Amino acid sequence: MIIHHPLLGPRDAAEFVYLGDASLIERPDGLAENAEDTMYEYVYLRDNPAGLHRELWYHEQGDRSWLVVTRNTVTHEITAVELARDVACDKGRSK
Amino acid sequence: MAEISLSGAPILGDVHHDFGACILAERTDIALISVAIPKDGRKALSDKLKELWELSVPSAMETRHTNKIRAIPMTVDQFMLAFSSDGTMSETDAQESLADVGYTTLQTDAWVILELKGSGAITALERICPIDLDQSAFPIGSAARTSMEHLGACIVRLEADQFWLMSARSSAQSFYHAVETSCRWTAS
Repeated sequence: MIIHHPLLGPRDAAEFVYLGDASLIERPDGLAENAEDTMYEYVYLRDNPAGLHRELWYHEQGDRSWLVVTRNTVTHEITAVELARDVACDKGRSK
Repeated sequence: MAEISLSGAPILGDVHHDFGACILAERTDIALISVAIPKDGRKALSDKLKELWELSVPSAMETRHTNKIRAIPMTVDQFMLAFSSDGTMSETDAQESLADVGYTTLQTDAWVILELKGSGAITALERICPIDLDQSAFPIGSAARTSMEHLGACIVRLEADQFWLMSARSSAQSFYHAVETSCRWTAS
């Protein structure tokens, strides 16, 4: 499988490590009133779609960047690759 | 107080192996420091590099090079400065020059640099390097971090058939063995 890194171009998937659902970027506020429920959902509950799935990949044998890869779990077709830092910044995070 | 001067010892014994179609040798004359770019500090660092060495911050896969010094991209906000360790400029000099504009770390003793050159270099690399080394995809001056065999490595293209292969000094023997095996099997 080839992952088209936004900065480095096409790279073999063997250079990457898979982490999981990209929703891990959205860590809830652990001090909020409903923190018990939101942290439970954040840590334990995952969607398991047969189709498009946004997931985190780490370019360990490369530039050590985190990517958000949109992959079809049925066909393995990759339709989008973004830098995780850009995704996080778009959500209002500072880094 | 006595002046104490230390010099690094070659981890591979200054190895130099001619395979006919290519030559594989350890480079022991290169000093390395890494430079991390402070948040919102890219312009200040870039200005300082230009002032000091007519250099700029390298892009993701492209080195910057002047006669004295080469900037090799490592990650989004970090690059390596490689320069001759002949005494003209020490790592400490370079680190002090950049102290106000970047975060620097001495790296000379953390890496091994193999230089592979010759008409058989591409053939040898095809066996172990997953990067597309066609000149259209990886022209002279390009650099990429990748893995060779199971080892993390950085490849820099100096000329069409001349490369630096950098890897962790702690596994230098294994890295050399991997590259040397590839040279031996492909270059004859």
